[in-house]
Amino acid sequence: MKTSYLTAGFGLWSWLATRDHKRIAILYTISITLLFFIGGAAVALIRLDLLTPHSELVSIETYNKLFSMHGVIMVWFFLIPSIPATLGNFLVPMMIGARDLAFPRLNLLSWYLYLLGALFAIGALLAGGVDTGWTFYTPFSTMFSNTHVFAVVAGVFVAGFSSILTGLNFIVTIHEMRAPGLTWFRLPLFVWSMYATSLILVLATPVLAMTLFLIAVERLFGIGVFDPALGGGPLLFQHLFWFYSHPAVYIMIVPAMGVASEIIGCFARNGIFGYRFMAYAMLAIAGFGFLVWGHHMFVSGQSAYAGTVFSLLTFLVSVPSAVKVFNWAATLYKGRISFDAPMLYALGFIGLFTVGGLTGLFLASLGLDVHLHDTYFVVAHFHYIMVGGAVMAFFGGIHFWWPKVTGRLYPDAWARFAALLSFFGFNLTFFPQFIVGYLGMPRRYPEYPPEFQVWNVLSSAGASVLAVGYALPLFYLFWSLRYGPPAPDNPWRAKGLEWQTPSPPPPENFLATPVVAAEPYAYADEDSRSG
Amino acid sequence: MASVLSTVAPQFDDAEQQRAAATLGMWIFLATEILFFGVLFAAYTLTRVRHPEAFAAGSRLTHVTLASLNTGVLLTSSLTMALAGHAARTGARRALVAWLGLTVALGAGFLAIKGIEYRLDFTEHLVPALNFAYAGPRADQVELFFFVYFLVTGVHALHVFIGVAAIAAIAVMASRRAFTPAYFTPVEVTGLYWHLVDIVWLFVYPLLYLVSRA
Amino acid sequence: MTGPRNDVLVWLALLALLLLTLGSAYVPLGRFNTTLHLAIAATQAALVLLFSMHLRTAHPLLRAVAAVGFFGIAILIALSLADVMTR
Repeated sequence: MKTSYLTAGFGLWSWLATRDHKRIAILYTISITLLFFIGGAAVALIRLDLLTPHSELVSIETYNKLFSMHGVIMVWFFLIPSIPATLGNFLVPMMIGARDLAFPRLNLLSWYLYLLGALFAIGALLAGGVDTGWTFYTPFSTMFSNTHVFAVVAGVFVAGFSSILTGLNFIVTIHEMRAPGLTWFRLPLFVWSMYATSLILVLATPVLAMTLFLIAVERLFGIGVFDPALGGGPLLFQHLFWFYSHPAVYIMIVPAMGVASEIIGCFARNGIFGYRFMAYAMLAIAGFGFLVWGHHMFVSGQSAYAGTVFSLLTFLVSVPSAVKVFNWAATLYKGRISFDAPMLYALGFIGLFTVGGLTGLFLASLGLDVHLHDTYFVVAHFHYIMVGGAVMAFFGGIHFWWPKVTGRLYPDAWARFAALLSFFGFNLTFFPQFIVGYLGMPRRYPEYPPEFQVWNVLSSAGASVLAVGYALPLFYLFWSLRYGPPAPDNPWRAKGLEWQTPSPPPPENFLATPVVAAEPYAYADEDSRSG
Repeated sequence: MASVLSTVAPQFDDAEQQRAAATLGMWIFLATEILFFGVLFAAYTLTRVRHPEAFAAGSRLTHVTLASLNTGVLLTSSLTMALAGHAARTGARRALVAWLGLTVALGAGFLAIKGIEYRLDFTEHLVPALNFAYAGPRADQVELFFFVYFLVTGVHALHVFIGVAAIAAIAVMASRRAFTPAYFTPVEVTGLYWHLVDIVWLFVYPLLYLVSRA
Repeated sequence: MTGPRNDVLVWLALLALLLLTLGSAYVPLGRFNTTLHLAIAATQAALVLLFSMHLRTAHPLLRAVAAVGFFGIAILIALSLADVMTR
């Protein structure tokens, strides 16, 4: 049998000291899955508590800690690294025909930093948690909260450097290590999405790191630039925080767009419509993302003039987003569509992303936002993007590349069932939140008027369906590792370079350095040849 | 030729690709450093426009002579680092080690002068949260200025310290003949870092020490 | 590539600009003191970037990376300042 990256070394140390991007991708996958279920456990308790108008399950203090840890873990320890650190790590070198990332040791270091940050966060959780929300708004986080703000902030700070190293590695790799003939406009859109994402990781994350450092210093010494008592500015904190945290949403969604593009091209057997515009649109989303952060502060006391400008700039983001949705639809048009599991996830992604994007326009409108700010409408909106969009695409990507990564096929019927269940459960969970939010239910409160109960019960019922939809793949994918039939090199007849090498790939990725002579997504050509 | 080949990592095709990757990687890292300091400059700017008088009063209490001397020291260390780069390019090993050693000395000198300055600040009761005492008006905002002052100079001094340690390590490698005219990327990228630390100071200096001296 | 002579000239220019910015601080120009300080600092930074850090002869990509970093700060300060100044 040929040596694959999985059989190139055995024992724990061959994994913990590996510099192979494929193995690091697996290490990341295992760790973020663990954190995903911790964050999920927190929200399970939240949804249970919200079944009744009175907070009967947990105390109000515990409730605050639950939604804070849910946010912190899901944002920084699951969503931010989700696609880039797992699929991106595995696929970027393979898709560009390279042997590894440019800096393999930095890549391993980034995983260890992630792990260290996660340990801080989990440690803080065990020690009693944090109650500031994932946003750490000052002066509550700096002066008043008596919970483990310092440890959590330290964890996110450390994990931030893991993001920066990943982004840096990807940019250098994509610039310098493409195979002969692989020009920029022959790159798969997934690589473009990783490039755009890396730009955000590298430019935004340092701002978060230093802002968190300022929180830590202010907590430690009791003095700082965010302290209103001395003439400091809580709004200064919000500016700095959202300068990172708005682009951070695009760190989650742009990779999802890349995954969806790969899957839709393959299962529609069609070239991606408007390929160049798809690439430009992702860069535009990454760029515009830096100009819109003030829309999180419309009702925080920001000046009305600044609010107007931020509102206008926010509407600009809808242009490249709409270009993408239009081009996916146009790719499906006259394609020969097959509904395999990855395709179901990708189609679900388009639908949920569209709903999330359109409701974003509601929130970008100054007047409407006064009504909707800090209600469940906002919660529903960003879950449609970050969970409906990003997590659906993440699962789609896992299913699409699973045969390549593991060399095994999973039972497709189960996978389709899981995809449909997730889509159904997701909508049942979050669509009622649009309604209850519009009716005026604020976020982050464990108690609510009795007339909102029906929407909350629907939402909690949906959450339990969603949980099954997310847990199912864990079972059949694990099952496939042992009992699944061996995967051929290219089970989907896909076109990327990663499919031109054995499944699972050899340690050096390719038996010979590939040479690229054609555009990506040449699915339409195969028709004219065969027919 | 063998020594050149042995320094190329397996993921790269050749030394040229490796060198390009290292240089680009360093520049991207420097861009992240620029944004890292950007937060401090943004915090400074937004606080100063709200409290211009307090920032003027605070700035007048800083030690401009020591800071100006320190600026000269840092600019000179940038020159010696650039000259180290030339020595590496031409394979002048002794000169390389000498210029690197001089850069380390100047960097350490910068930190020493900074330390003297901090000691003066302490004796003059200018350290926020520790012994801050100011009799004039807007004492709270003046304290905020000194918070920003210690924050910015402290984070910058940390970068100088890291730079000094890195250059010292490079000097030791150079003395052990680790570099040739065909391979001296570590000297180059460490130099880039050192020059960036210099650039940050060029903005820190007028913004903290020279406000409203006239 | 720039020779050692160039680096010495850059160093002299940087020191001259240091004296200029220090001296200008003691001339009452009102708000233009800060403007002048920033202009001189930007000139000094440009000298270091172009000559000591070789951006003058470097690949355009590296110049773009440096520019993006400074552009990032500019956006951060400009848009947050736009809020504070109009509040």
